[in-house]
Amino acid sequence: MDVPILSLLILIPLVGALVTLFMGGERAGKAKFVAAVFSAITLVLAVYVMTVDDLSTLTENYTWIQVGALTMNIIFAIDGLSILMVFLTALLVLLAVVFSWGEEDRPNYYHALLLAMEVGLMGVYMAQDYFLFYIMWEVTLIPMYFMISWYGGPRRHYSAIKFFIYTHVASVIMLIGIFALVFSTTYGDFSFAAVSAAAAGAPLSEAMQTFIFGLLFFGFAVKMPVPPFHTWLPDAHVEAPTAGSVLLAGVMLKMGSYGIIRVCLDDNIFNLAMANWQMVIVVLGVIAMVYGAYACIAQNDLKKMVAYSSISHMGLVLVGIGCMSVIGTEFAIFQMFAHGIISGVLFMVCGFAGHSFGTRDMRLLGGLAGKFPMFALFMMFSFMASLGLPGLMGFVAEFGLLYGFWEFLSANGLEVLIVFGPLYMMLTAGYYLWAMQKTLFGKLTDKIDLEHSHDLAKYEVVAIAVLCVFMAVFGIMPSIATDFIMPYAGIIGGLF
Amino acid sequence: MMEYVWLVPIFPVACFVLAGLFGNKTPQGGGYIAIAGALIAFVLSALVSYDYYSSDLYAAGEAFEMSMEWLVVGGYTLNFGVYIDSLSCIMMLFASFISTLIFVYSIGYMDDQGEKKRRYYGEVSLFLTGMLGLVISSNYLEMFVFWEIMGLCSYLLIGFWSYTHPNGDEASINASSAAKKAFLVTRLGDVCLMTGLFVLLYAFGSLDYSVIFTDAPAVFAANETLVTIGILLLFAGVIGKSAQFPLHDWLPDAMAGPTTVSALIHAATMVKAGVYLVARSYPIFTQSADAMLVVAIIGGVTAIYTASMALNNMNIKRVLAYSTLSQLGYMILALGAGGYLIATGMDTGNQELIVLGTAGYAAGIFHMINHAFFKALLFLCSGSVIHAVGTEDMRHMGGLRKQMPITAYTMLIGSLSIAGIPVFSGFWSKDLVLEAAFAPFHHGLGAGSVFCLLFILGMITAFMTAFYMFRMWFMTFTGEPRGHCHGESPKPMTVPLIILSIFAIGSGLLILVGLGDFMAQSLAVGMNGILAALGLEVEIHSAMHIAEEIFTNVWTYVAIVLAVVGIGIAYLMYVKKPFVAENFDETKKGAIYNLVAKRYYFPQLYNQISWKLGYGISRIVDVFDRKVIDGTVNGLSNAVVGSGDGLSSAQTGYVRDYASYIVIGVVVIMAVFVLMVYYGGGF
Amino acid sequence: MIDIAFFLVFAAVLFVIGMYGLLTSKKGLVTLMCIELMLNAANINFITFASFSGGTAGQVFVIMTIAVAAAEVAVGIALMLNAYKTKGTTEVDKLTSMRW
Repeated sequence: MDVPILSLLILIPLVGALVTLFMGGERAGKAKFVAAVFSAITLVLAVYVMTVDDLSTLTENYTWIQVGALTMNIIFAIDGLSILMVFLTALLVLLAVVFSWGEEDRPNYYHALLLAMEVGLMGVYMAQDYFLFYIMWEVTLIPMYFMISWYGGPRRHYSAIKFFIYTHVASVIMLIGIFALVFSTTYGDFSFAAVSAAAAGAPLSEAMQTFIFGLLFFGFAVKMPVPPFHTWLPDAHVEAPTAGSVLLAGVMLKMGSYGIIRVCLDDNIFNLAMANWQMVIVVLGVIAMVYGAYACIAQNDLKKMVAYSSISHMGLVLVGIGCMSVIGTEFAIFQMFAHGIISGVLFMVCGFAGHSFGTRDMRLLGGLAGKFPMFALFMMFSFMASLGLPGLMGFVAEFGLLYGFWEFLSANGLEVLIVFGPLYMMLTAGYYLWAMQKTLFGKLTDKIDLEHSHDLAKYEVVAIAVLCVFMAVFGIMPSIATDFIMPYAGIIGGLF
Repeated sequence: MMEYVWLVPIFPVACFVLAGLFGNKTPQGGGYIAIAGALIAFVLSALVSYDYYSSDLYAAGEAFEMSMEWLVVGGYTLNFGVYIDSLSCIMMLFASFISTLIFVYSIGYMDDQGEKKRRYYGEVSLFLTGMLGLVISSNYLEMFVFWEIMGLCSYLLIGFWSYTHPNGDEASINASSAAKKAFLVTRLGDVCLMTGLFVLLYAFGSLDYSVIFTDAPAVFAANETLVTIGILLLFAGVIGKSAQFPLHDWLPDAMAGPTTVSALIHAATMVKAGVYLVARSYPIFTQSADAMLVVAIIGGVTAIYTASMALNNMNIKRVLAYSTLSQLGYMILALGAGGYLIATGMDTGNQELIVLGTAGYAAGIFHMINHAFFKALLFLCSGSVIHAVGTEDMRHMGGLRKQMPITAYTMLIGSLSIAGIPVFSGFWSKDLVLEAAFAPFHHGLGAGSVFCLLFILGMITAFMTAFYMFRMWFMTFTGEPRGHCHGESPKPMTVPLIILSIFAIGSGLLILVGLGDFMAQSLAVGMNGILAALGLEVEIHSAMHIAEEIFTNVWTYVAIVLAVVGIGIAYLMYVKKPFVAENFDETKKGAIYNLVAKRYYFPQLYNQISWKLGYGISRIVDVFDRKVIDGTVNGLSNAVVGSGDGLSSAQTGYVRDYASYIVIGVVVIMAVFVLMVYYGGGF
Repeated sequence: MIDIAFFLVFAAVLFVIGMYGLLTSKKGLVTLMCIELMLNAANINFITFASFSGGTAGQVFVIMTIAVAAAEVAVGIALMLNAYKTKGTTEVDKLTSMRW
């Protein structure tokens, strides 16, 4: 393998971002073609990566900074945990570009930001070095900040700054955790493998482990986000443009859960701390699940409702992680993938509603199914997928995760608490159906002027339909995805 | 042929795709595609059933099973496959047969729906896939998948007119609200069912029928409480899907959908899925006599409770909906009683109880099949009436017998059948159901007194059934016309009615003679292994023996008399007395009348619960979220900004101020030094 | 030989007078003169310690300081003159056009 595929996964969007960035003036209209081409090439590469038999052959390792004991390398690698995330990133960026085909406000910057985000996201999911990981983590932040503050809604500045500062504070705390970890194990070598090996040789004290785990977990938990550190998310989503929301919910939130699985579930480092934190993680996950679902019911803004539903669904991921078992890890990863695809469509549909009808307030909408059949069809499809309808991929993830939860509860003699699972499912069904009733059914609204409203455009249908096909395919044949995950989940699960 | 049984649900789903994509390019919006799909499914089902019936497997009392790995969940393997025994065959046959007839009927009934027909035929095809997939599934998870697909189709079809309703916006709102209610209430059962699956998977390490049925006694013995809870959770799913008390209230509202949908989904097939699940799960359900007692009680209570609401309802479809609920209660009662008998029989090693229990099991399935025919017939007749008069309110009908004779007489056959008049199909199965409910008392078993009470409730229900069915028939078809009528419905509608009425007359006798053993065989498939270990076996009396028992039992005649009396009272009240509008003025009625008319305030109860538990808490959460959590976040940022503002006021810009600060600073530092030297003795 | 305390007290008094003037006066020229006073107080300290400890480094610093102070006065007075020409005042509190 001579071609550095993984580097290309980062370099191609980077080049694409630079090219589109300088396509100002008259050429701005062509930016979308450039962006589509670059993101399509990235997707092709990502798909190619999935066909490689032995993923470890793709690993790349370059020396980057070496000052005294400090060693920071550029190490890219892909395994069962990251491969689906890489694919998801490449897919969603391309579809976000396609969905934004009609964007006319400074399209060159818009697409440059999308591609720049892809650079950071790919970097986070492939980095195998704490310093590189942190850098890439922060790289994702900047394009999203500009995305919200340039292309957002009326309160965009407030939301963008809140998003930036909140998540930045969290990542700085995470950075402290990284420093504490690195300088108490390898004294300067930042690579994942070196830290893990050093910690295995000379384990940290339990207090130190618990402390560092806490710092890192906080950084990741804010990104996921876990209540009570979640309030940046609804604000950011409400103001962000559709493509931004798609990437924010679809892939950026997964950085948090990815980080927890990747870093915090390393048995070499945190063999003692994990037991201390396990209950906290599960409890936080259950709170997120139920709290998020309840918050959804009270929302009037479609997009805000979907934003809270992301919190609720990511809470389920956290529960799966907290189970610290093969099944919990397996389906936590699967749910990350599933939620990425489903929430992509959810935000596309809701973003479209705001765009076409001028409002996303459900009190003003109603009876739209008759006039906008495509919109209604996809809204129902994505809502049903999100509420866990069997046959679509959300159900597989939910079944596995809640079963993992049940196993965990049984092992701890807390069987009664399984009631939170059904409660979560009921609430989820409740708010989605209520939202559909208020938006699509009943009397055609006369509170807003629908004269200039239009149904989904062709390019929007394409973007949404592709994701819907994925939902059905992975719902009927989930083993396509779990075959990638299982080796990794097996390794992780074998540790507990 | 059996190995191709997976094609049975494939054809309808292909029709779903075809009708969904190209429906509007074909005549009748894809109606003929849907009919073709259902017909092929029926023919395939018949071939598969025949193949199974003539195979060695049938003779040996074994199921045909074929599965492949679907998903690896942690340490478990979940499969996807087919499981064919006589129960699956029976379900497949009648589901696809009735669907074919109803689709044909739809050609006439939905003719004026224009572009929307595509959606209708696509969704009913998908529904048929769900039903057929459910009955041939080889494990609980797969069954649950199809179970939910049917739930989705039910939601979509109840809400068929949830926008742009032909009767105006009010009706649209009603339909969308009814669809939501149906989905959520059944969902409540479904999430319990899913939790039940967790329990089973945890206890058995597999969800395959064959594994669970074989291991049931051992696992139950090892973990009695857990498995009992699992069984009850599964039954909670049944309560939701088959609309048993207390989750019954969605079904009357579901009548907001087209009548064909009510006939297909909410009478003939989907609501039977719960009954099917109980019958299918007999090997595990019967491990726990207590659980079966709960099943029987729920069934018996539902039967009489819902029948009472049909007594004074004015809406022709609602009457039929309550009657469906009541008959579903009968089926559950029969299965519960049969299961109780078998469970007790296994505990005491009494072969006689096993035989009686098998009869109860057969009675439940038997009644399910008969009910599918006569209730589909009744619903389609009511659809024909509604099609002709344009209203569902029976106060605006009357005297339709002359204008639409085919509908009138086919509906009469259906009513006689459900009322339990001898020779008609309902008579046979209802009698067997009541006999099964009576058996535990008759044999002096532990909960015999409870079953005696349930039996009495069942008898009263039989009387009520006869009364309200004929009340409906008399109000609709006799007396003076009270509204306009377009005349008899077109051929595509009347031909299915005639075919179904033939079955409503004959299916009882046919099944009794020919298929009794066939039904017992499905129980043997699941349970012979378990029973053999106890020295017992599944056994059913011959058809002649059963018939003899029916006609030598005094209760049979009591039931017939009660039915005739019920019809007579209906005749006296609604034919002999002339129609007086005042008699039907609901505001002038007594408390009991209103209690029943308001459905015992169950809709309000649901609303209150969902309002308090759902919306109420969500308001609190929302306020907490905005004020407390986000308030803290914003408060923190305000505190940072505010303190910055406060400190910046020290920056006056006057040189003298800065000089003073320097001086003060120097003085303080000097003072500290001096004090340190003076008191601390040096640095 | 005069006691070193006399020199130091004299320098301290001179410094405090300069400081008092600096902190209280609003007039630019007075401020400048007060700064000169404080500088010279420091010079006296330098010379005193140099003389009593016997080195020459103190004297070197003083000469250096005098040279810098001369330059400073030249710049300072030029600033004051310009301020008076353009603003009509030399009161430092009134020269606020570059204040935040």
